[in-house]
Amino acid sequence: MENATVLPQSKQQPHQLNWHRLLPWLIPVALVGAWQFAVSAGWLDQQLIPSPLAVVQDGVALWQTGELPKNIAISLFRATVGFAIGGSIGFVLGLLNGLSKVARGLTDTTIQMLRNIPHLSLIPLVIIMLGIGESAKISLVSVGVMFPIYINTYSGIRNIDPELLEMGRTYGLTRRQLFSKIVFPGALPTILVGVRYALGVMWTTLIVAETISSNSGIGYMASNAQEFMDMATVLLCIVIYALLGKLSDIIAKTLESLCLDWQTKGGARA
Amino acid sequence: MTPLITLDRIGKQYGANTALHDVNFSIYPGEFVALVGMSGGGKSTILRLIAGLEAASAGNLSYAGGQAPVTRVMFQNDRLLPWMTAIQNVSFHARDADTQSRAKQTLAAVGLAAFANQYPNQLSGGQKQRLALARALMAQPELLLLDEPLGALDALTRRNMQDFIRQIVAEQHLTTLLITHDVEEAARMADRIIVIKNGSNVYEATGAKDGTAAQVATVAQDVLQVILQPSGQAV
Repeated sequence: MENATVLPQSKQQPHQLNWHRLLPWLIPVALVGAWQFAVSAGWLDQQLIPSPLAVVQDGVALWQTGELPKNIAISLFRATVGFAIGGSIGFVLGLLNGLSKVARGLTDTTIQMLRNIPHLSLIPLVIIMLGIGESAKISLVSVGVMFPIYINTYSGIRNIDPELLEMGRTYGLTRRQLFSKIVFPGALPTILVGVRYALGVMWTTLIVAETISSNSGIGYMASNAQEFMDMATVLLCIVIYALLGKLSDIIAKTLESLCLDWQTKGGARA
Repeated sequence: MTPLITLDRIGKQYGANTALHDVNFSIYPGEFVALVGMSGGGKSTILRLIAGLEAASAGNLSYAGGQAPVTRVMFQNDRLLPWMTAIQNVSFHARDADTQSRAKQTLAAVGLAAFANQYPNQLSGGQKQRLALARALMAQPELLLLDEPLGALDALTRRNMQDFIRQIVAEQHLTTLLITHDVEEAARMADRIIVIKNGSNVYEATGAKDGTAAQVATVAQDVLQVILQPSGQAV
């Protein structure tokens, strides 16, 4: 019955591959080039908008003094710890409420009410309760990332194809096997969408938290530079946030390509 | 011969709706039985009762030796797990020591040995159904339940799959229950055809699985007449 064969996948030419790799960077490079040109031509006031070159020079100087690496490290620490705590809580709550009717009945209404409170509006409360130390900023990041991961874990589990579950039951899978072989892998694409969204929320929350109540971190560097009208450092901080955001996106995409490779394979259809 | 499974005055209610009433038939070991009838007639409900997915509201379902046989279902939509490769889909439910070698053998039996590491979305419709069949065979069922497994396939693939399933079932001496609304398919594949109409079995015919095309057509025509006969008329 071997009536079909695997077709060889079409091979991309090397020059096509390079072009596709460069394409995403075309707009950022063009924008930076236009920015540099506008400042060099005198169209922009260098005091208000320093050139990209001046921003890079400022970055190098701050790196050499140790200020930049120290502030990047502390921001990364807050982001990572806050994401780990909030993400874990959101994931566990999503699992519990997705799998258990009792847990859902007990907590979902409360979670939905809390979810609708903008987490940044909690800043005054958090400052009063926790001061401006690490726990305040980490708490805010945790609250920010918790809900996207909760919602996506919960809905990923609730939306599992019931026919697959029925199939699993007819094959005698235990509840644990149903979870590990059907429920979790089926919910994973939705969970990872939540992770990706939460990574964005993580940076937004941290920027605001560090700008309002901090004495270290990239956000603090930016607000401190603003006090001294140090526009090069302000712009440097914005660029760093953009790069950290891109790094988060790369991490999310890598996770997706590792965990969901089955979604992208399909070119060898016979 | 003792029947593998016997349905005795089986009934099934969904609230006020009667899906099945007074269903009586037996399936014997090694037999290939087809249930045919119009959509909504109760065929799939009978399969779900036999598979243990639902409980009967009335009547008695009895088994040879008093114990339900190992039953596996091949559904109309393949219900493959898209995140598992072909070999994982075949073996995910098995727990014995030689799972891997048996899975390879089973894939080879359905002609998918070369596709062991492909995901379902890399396979054609016919290949997916063969994979679903391999998954069912891997469980070494005593009773194979086929719930309109070829309904979503194009005519040519469907015809190939009919021959293929027949061949596999014969080779492995499987007791098989096929649910289909295609009377020709039933005539071509089954030893015995049972017509389900308005929630009850109303007619039985002998299949023409080793017969000529003309014999298949004759059996199919007879069965179709029964199905299309207005309710209330004697069969």
